[in-house]
Amino acid sequence: MFNENAIELNNAFVGYGDVTILKNLDFKVKIGEFVSILGENGAGKTTLFKSILLILPLTKGTIRVFDKEVAWGRDNTWLRSQIGYVPQNHNKGNFPISVFDATLLGRWGSSFSYFKRPSLRDKEITREILRVVNLEDMMHHDCKALSGGQTQRLNIARALVRKPRILLLDEPTTHLDVDSQRKLDATISNIRNQYELSVIMISHDKAHAISLSDRIVYLRNGKIYNDIGVPL
Amino acid sequence: MNIIEFLKVPIFQRALIASILAGGTMSLLGIVIVVFNMTTIRFALMHFGLLGGAIGLALGANPLTVAIAAIALASLLFGPLSDRLKLDTGLIGAFFMTGSIAIAFLLFYKAGVPALDVFSLFTGSILTLTSNDLLFICVLALIIVLFYVIFYKEIQLIFYDSDQAEWLGVPTKKIRNALLFLTGLSIGVAMKIVGALLIDALILLSAMSAMRLAKNFKQLILLTSLFGILTTTGGLLFSMVFDFPSGATITLTGVLILLISLLTQK
Repeated sequence: MFNENAIELNNAFVGYGDVTILKNLDFKVKIGEFVSILGENGAGKTTLFKSILLILPLTKGTIRVFDKEVAWGRDNTWLRSQIGYVPQNHNKGNFPISVFDATLLGRWGSSFSYFKRPSLRDKEITREILRVVNLEDMMHHDCKALSGGQTQRLNIARALVRKPRILLLDEPTTHLDVDSQRKLDATISNIRNQYELSVIMISHDKAHAISLSDRIVYLRNGKIYNDIGVPL
Repeated sequence: MNIIEFLKVPIFQRALIASILAGGTMSLLGIVIVVFNMTTIRFALMHFGLLGGAIGLALGANPLTVAIAAIALASLLFGPLSDRLKLDTGLIGAFFMTGSIAIAFLLFYKAGVPALDVFSLFTGSILTLTSNDLLFICVLALIIVLFYVIFYKEIQLIFYDSDQAEWLGVPTKKIRNALLFLTGLSIGVAMKIVGALLIDALILLSAMSAMRLAKNFKQLILLTSLFGILTTTGGLLFSMVFDFPSGATITLTGVLILLISLLTQK
């Protein structure tokens, strides 16, 4: 039977040492769905992302991505081709790198790696993605020269350049001014439609989450406290 | 003597070749120190070098050979130790730095090492390089260049965003530790060329200057290498013509380049 879930966590427990963060979590995201995760600090939002990304192991339960079971410690090359991850906006330090190179390198391990140089196709995809996130004009600029909003669009481009089917966004609009936030929202909606992405977004802002999502999941103490569909 | 006459003398020939190779390649490891914010580690490695030098002097062995061995060993341990013990490398660096220098001073005192020998560890001289030293520098320079060429994309990704690099499957820790090891070996060579107190001139200053001007990784590498060669070779030639001590002149050339880069910053 056709499984319509992009991501499916069943009976998932995750913890560090003696502390259990996610407790018996059942969480599903349908293909093409946009789900926002809300909850206070420590509710387990980032831990949920880290579990899906297989950065943290489940102590119990299963994760399925497009109906394929994945687990921490196994070869996750396939998973990396399915999921694009945009971490919380943070300063990338002082290293000079062009917007184009930073984006292109997001494809490392998919079509090029150690002794294989990026192909023309890799470069074409990079340009296409930069066009979609409206950074084409800044392609040859140093990443340090970008504003906060532009940096966040670059981070999305770096995740998107692998052509994933699922996008994880960790508080993408935090620390952005209203205008940058509006532009970023437009970019997110646009790429979601254009690439038919399933999106999970961690947010602190309920109104913002409602404006973008199909469904909102509230986490509290590592459990789903509320799961609400957003009316069209 | 003018420069042409100087260059007919083998020790000057060796010094010139060493200055081009060391300046052009070892400066590239300064990028590692700046990007990973490893200033404490490089300080600690330098003190390890002094400890090695002290052991060498106390045992009557070649102090710089022992120094390079000590630094190489320490740099091999730093990365993995910091991963395993979950301590930040800065803390480990500070711990080893004070410990090693205290032992070095004890050794100097107990073995009755002449002050001038101790002083030579601190000042170094590119003009005392032997053929074996030069061979070592050649091999090290080649390894550094090959490492940067082979892992160009991976190094760039790790420098820019090591979290993403790790998630994409780049062996981030292995590459970082290998770079740290090469940095250690280069600090050993720098001790010989400019002395323990001025190693930054060879390793760090060029990268700092280039960092201010470069807009991408390729520019960063080329500028660092160019500034490194200008620093060492320019410093060496100045010191020969004006009869200045080579270590100090090389360092001042590096400082001058950094000053110019600060003034002409993009």
